[in-house]
Amino acid sequence: MFWAIFPILWVIPFIFQGEALVGGMNSPEFGELAGTERFVPFVLIGAIVSTYLFSSLYGMGGSIRMESYWGTLEYILGSPARKISVLMGKALSESISSTLFVATQMVICIFGFGLTLAVGKILPILLTMLLLVAGLYGMAIALAGVTLQIKESRSLVHTIEYLFYLFSPIRYPVGIHPLIASVSVIIPLTYALIAIRGVWLLNQPINALWRNIGILAVLDVVFIAFGYSIFYFMEKKVRKSGAVSQY
Amino acid sequence: MDISRNAIIAKGLVKTFKKKARRKYLVGPKIGKDELIYAVNGVDLEVKKGELFGLLGPNGAGKTTLVKCLSTLLLPNRGTALINGHDIIDDPIAARESIGITTGGERTLYWKLSGRDNLRYFAALYGLSSAKAHERIDYLLEIMGLQEKQDERIEKYSTGMRQKISICRALIHDPLVLLLDEPTLGLDPSFSRFIRSFIKKDLNETRGKTILLTTHYMDEADQLCDRIAIMNNGKIVAVDTPENLKKSIPHDEVLEVKCVGTADFEGIGQRMYYRTENGVSVYRIHAEYVEEIMSEVIKAADSAKILSMNVTKPTLEDVFIHLTGARLTGESREE
Amino acid sequence: MALFPSTDRMKRYMRAMNAENMKEWKIELTYRVDFIRGMLEPLIFVFPYVLFAMSLMGGRTSSVLEELTGVSDGVTYTIIGYIFMGFLNTAVWGMGFALRKEQWYGTLESIFVMPVPRWVYVMGMALHSTVHQGIILFFQIAVVYVLFGVILNVQGVLPVLILVALMLISLVGLGLMVSGLALIFKEGWIVSEVLYSLITIVTPIAYPLAVLPPLLQKLSKAMPTTYAITGIRHFLIAENMEFPLWDAYSRLIVIGVCWVIMGLVIFHIVDRRVRREGTLAEY
Repeated sequence: MFWAIFPILWVIPFIFQGEALVGGMNSPEFGELAGTERFVPFVLIGAIVSTYLFSSLYGMGGSIRMESYWGTLEYILGSPARKISVLMGKALSESISSTLFVATQMVICIFGFGLTLAVGKILPILLTMLLLVAGLYGMAIALAGVTLQIKESRSLVHTIEYLFYLFSPIRYPVGIHPLIASVSVIIPLTYALIAIRGVWLLNQPINALWRNIGILAVLDVVFIAFGYSIFYFMEKKVRKSGAVSQY
Repeated sequence: MDISRNAIIAKGLVKTFKKKARRKYLVGPKIGKDELIYAVNGVDLEVKKGELFGLLGPNGAGKTTLVKCLSTLLLPNRGTALINGHDIIDDPIAARESIGITTGGERTLYWKLSGRDNLRYFAALYGLSSAKAHERIDYLLEIMGLQEKQDERIEKYSTGMRQKISICRALIHDPLVLLLDEPTLGLDPSFSRFIRSFIKKDLNETRGKTILLTTHYMDEADQLCDRIAIMNNGKIVAVDTPENLKKSIPHDEVLEVKCVGTADFEGIGQRMYYRTENGVSVYRIHAEYVEEIMSEVIKAADSAKILSMNVTKPTLEDVFIHLTGARLTGESREE
Repeated sequence: MALFPSTDRMKRYMRAMNAENMKEWKIELTYRVDFIRGMLEPLIFVFPYVLFAMSLMGGRTSSVLEELTGVSDGVTYTIIGYIFMGFLNTAVWGMGFALRKEQWYGTLESIFVMPVPRWVYVMGMALHSTVHQGIILFFQIAVVYVLFGVILNVQGVLPVLILVALMLISLVGLGLMVSGLALIFKEGWIVSEVLYSLITIVTPIAYPLAVLPPLLQKLSKAMPTTYAITGIRHFLIAENMEFPLWDAYSRLIVIGVCWVIMGLVIFHIVDRRVRREGTLAEY
């Protein structure tokens, strides 16, 4: 319930801030950077998509941490099951619950905030989100590996979350600052949000967004490969040091 | 209630827990029924000042729950207790001031702090000034032989060393009453011996502390305690000195038979219990005249191979089984 | 049992609170990387809000904001609100999770058998969190001065400290409430997160009270953070206040007393409940 509702409620202060700074729900200056003057839908879409970010950052690492706490981690890692299968299982479970949250949030945005969504746009948006999820869970697998070693990884995850908020267009267009724009190119969220907003807000046809979707797909492969390598490396390291059973 | 002679008095203490039947899935029928569990069921207890009093019983008997009630960690549902004259319900802070306690569990200390820092922290919670705390900590670390390790983090200590620090913590404010909940649980034999000797000789005989010790090791209770209360299913079933408890068994000799394989000793002697130890069957047969049943036992052994036969005195475990029908540890079979 | 403890007991409780504070510092400093991260992270926490404001304004200033508040600098306006709201974090997470942390360490029962009331631990944690937040605030002000050229009215520092102190009284009450509730809810972080979210939604952090809808304005006026943040902006960047200053001070005191009493009552009720149910050690 919490994750279905609160990411949307967190957007409310931005609406009031907009009211105080520009006297309404539209900003021409914002439009120059974002392609749309309507910053409320911009921020709402960022909030919806960032739900996947939360679940990937906190879900996987948290799940590994709980296995460690319950004392079952050793048995999982020592079982004949392939690690990738275990991780994919966890990722699948997390992404299913995140998708339910996202669906609820979309309903709240449509009925509560007046966001409109044509039926024909649903599929391209969903496919883009699925691509995003793949990349984010690649990163999540890396974090799961880090959790094996440093146990209390929650604060590291917190920092990564902040960095994502800072360097990707969740709340504002990345063109606001050159540094933000430079760093955002390596973040999958950037391309997913550009593509989703392009379809949803700017009524761009999907073939205008192939470049962003293509880059997103490439980043997914990179993140998944990177994530699994980190996990594999960390797992070997903790098995050598005996830190698997440590709490 | 004679508070001048007794350091701990419990009257009609009852502590219940609700056990809710769970559902298999989020919605659906419940598995089983809601239950009210009487973890402590009408316990009356008096521990004299300066006494080393044992609470003996198997896992789940209610010993730890009783100790938690006395230390004010749990609120009893009925009844009350006085610790050094202070009511645990009406004046819990004063009661806690009189108590030093060691509880079970690996993680009752701050693992990221040193032994010394842990003790310094708890000393402050007991209201000791810095100077007094320093003095007490130095003294206790010396007794426990932990001076060299005092500045190392608890996470690097062995289990035995952690238990020593826990005992130091219980003693830091020099309390009148000590509640020691399974103090040797999980310790290796040498540490266990040290702890037992320390409790008996140093704390009780030399310093005159009133000690309530819970254990499921009958040897420990037998060796250390002035009096023992046997607890089972939340009730105290007997209270007396170890000697008197053992004498309460009708027969003061027991034939212990160890054999490989199962033997049928049914009908021999007055009472028989058995357990398995490392693949060996151990039978304890109570009889009025043990010599008279020996030949019967050898005959009845049949295909089982007898490894040894010993005439022994009744143990507290025999007392426990005699009183409750259950074993101190694990299952028993009474015939 | 007396309603108020004796002087002697109070001295002991102060000693215990300080011991709790020092213990937390010692544990925190053992996680060096985490400590540094914890100090640096709040510095970047405020940036997304500032960048959002800048993307709306197309720069630093807003004529709409100036009309509403007398302050045209939207960047400074946004920064002030968010950095002082960090104290809400200390109440909800720092204090609110004090006892939950002890459950996590496994030491909750060990400290609950000590002869000090339970609220002392929460207060000790409050002391630690407040000092922590104070240090962070200092660094945040330095960073925003360097990066955003934020200049504050130095003469306003003393009244701001008074406002922060008054706000902290209420936040201690909130911390006690959250700390108690976190003991009975297995997912206690949700209590903290919900309260934090609701208070930040109704508090005029980066905007004046006037832009809130009437219902939210009413709720906002029940929050100590509203008076504190508005007053702080008044003293540091000369924001026109929508209510008299004296009103802000008196309401902060009244809300503070009420929240502390509520916090102690809830805490006491929860304490008895967990001791009755025996769930103290359960995580």
